[in-house]
Amino acid sequence: MIVLDPNGEKLNLMPLNVGPSHPATHGCLRFLAAMDGETIVASVEEIGYLHRGFEKMVERGTWQQVVPYTDRLNYCSAIMNNIAFCRTVENMFGVEIPERTKVLRVIVNELSRINDHFVCVAAAFQDLGGTTPFMYAFNPREEIMCIWEKLTGARLTNSFARIGGLSRDSYEGFEQDVLAALNSTEKALKDLHACLDRNRIFLDRTVGIGKISAEKAISYGWTGPCLRASGVASDLRKDEPYYDYETYDWEVVVGTQGDCNDRLQVRLAEIEESVKIVRQALKRLAPGPVDIVDPRIRVPAHKLAYQDMEGLIGRFKSVYEGIRVPEGEYYCGSECANGELGFTIVSDGFGHPYRIKVRPPCLTQFAAFHELVEGGLLADSMAVLSGLNIIAGELDR
Amino acid sequence: MTVEEIFAVLEERYGATREKQDKWGVTAVVSASYLHNAVQFLKEESGIKFDMLVDIVGIDYLTYPNHEGPRFAVAYAFKSMKNPGARIRLKVLVSEENLNVPTITDFYANANWYEREVFDQFGIVFKGHPDLRRLLNHVEFVGHPLRKDYPAQKRQWLSTNDYLLPQLEQRLEELGYKVVQRSKEVETNDNEFLEGSIKE
Repeated sequence: MIVLDPNGEKLNLMPLNVGPSHPATHGCLRFLAAMDGETIVASVEEIGYLHRGFEKMVERGTWQQVVPYTDRLNYCSAIMNNIAFCRTVENMFGVEIPERTKVLRVIVNELSRINDHFVCVAAAFQDLGGTTPFMYAFNPREEIMCIWEKLTGARLTNSFARIGGLSRDSYEGFEQDVLAALNSTEKALKDLHACLDRNRIFLDRTVGIGKISAEKAISYGWTGPCLRASGVASDLRKDEPYYDYETYDWEVVVGTQGDCNDRLQVRLAEIEESVKIVRQALKRLAPGPVDIVDPRIRVPAHKLAYQDMEGLIGRFKSVYEGIRVPEGEYYCGSECANGELGFTIVSDGFGHPYRIKVRPPCLTQFAAFHELVEGGLLADSMAVLSGLNIIAGELDR
Repeated sequence: MTVEEIFAVLEERYGATREKQDKWGVTAVVSASYLHNAVQFLKEESGIKFDMLVDIVGIDYLTYPNHEGPRFAVAYAFKSMKNPGARIRLKVLVSEENLNVPTITDFYANANWYEREVFDQFGIVFKGHPDLRRLLNHVEFVGHPLRKDYPAQKRQWLSTNDYLLPQLEQRLEELGYKVVQRSKEVETNDNEFLEGSIKE
């Protein structure tokens, strides 16, 4: 297409389609760019290639059946999503979960965050042509994956949280495994920083690329590490604390430039903070029950179902009819790896969710993608994309 | 200023009523005609500046037990960056006969995609939206899947993706460029574009 630029000069632009199935578009994202040589003049995005109708599906099951669906939102930190969902429903019930569950949830939350950030940084490096850091990051990630395997039986789409508790208590030797994973995480962080911080090629590709101001990021509704990279110290774990996050000793990581490099560095620094939180949480982990005792919320244990009539009735009703969440409308956001994951829940007081709307943190970030890449090179758009950590599962739901 | 005080102002100025269903936070129900002013007040004038639009949610009350009033609702969630922890929600009731709601894309950049999503899933039309298209579903998709009367098992043949060239031109114009000669492909009309897709 031939256009006149703002100065009245004639330009011949080439529309270039990138994605939806492109190794660098992480899943299935697509954008159409108007190219002037190597420079992107304008860009528009299309999403929805992974739209599976999450919000329609969950309306057909019971409340407990929503939990495994939430794993498929951000599959890089699956357990975090179901903790966020369970927390929302528990708040509607107005129940307090046992202390041990709180601490365990904090531990798996932060381990998921470490996992998620490692994937993001590793993939960003990989997209720019660096394979070594990928391996450095994936070693500790693998250890955490093994913990997931022992804890839940699955590696990727694992669900651990349940409404009113956890699917099971931690296994024997959990603490040692977590400590070992933390140690190798710290080692990997050192290696990653050695690869990243003074790497001329990497810095040239990421510093000053895909810049966004704090104001604009807020207007686009950015949350999480991407917003913090622009210099806004906003973290729900501090702002609206839950699970006693305010009592742990840790800092909100804030960037200065809001560019691609900052977004990755903030993530690496957040891993350090998460390691700090997990170490403290491990010390607080005391024996105790993990489920609340209320058959109207949490299905009674198997043992009770065989020995006790009330337990049997509770189990039967909870499986066949589902729990009944109090009638009402509620929004609750939790700080997940990519930002604020929010659930708006409308309940009619019966066994099936009436309406559940997910607020995925990725959506707002990808909505601003054109602002980040316009004026840059096509190759830079890949650095920007991987720095945003767009997870198609939660973007398209 | 607390959120409760802000609600009192909304009540006084824009006739907002308290949503009793929201027992956990503050939700103000405003009429569609006041929505734009109410959002402007929340973002720019109120003591707590609600500078972030968190989410826009469509709700269909078709099968809600004992529901009275309009069939649809659009709920907006806001939060404040300057006063961490301050949140408020606005709600607009939308009847089936008049599906129009004013857009708030002039206040929040992310309202663009959120409104497209609600339009896509519920068919609610946001008046003044710069580019109201489907967001998650296919361009060929017929109907609005999150409406309660849309059968979950229903299948549709969908074979083509978004065209995007007209949107790219629109974006260029926004940036101050002037399209002199369009791409050859862009001049096909919509029917021809969809002709290649499989129809029953």
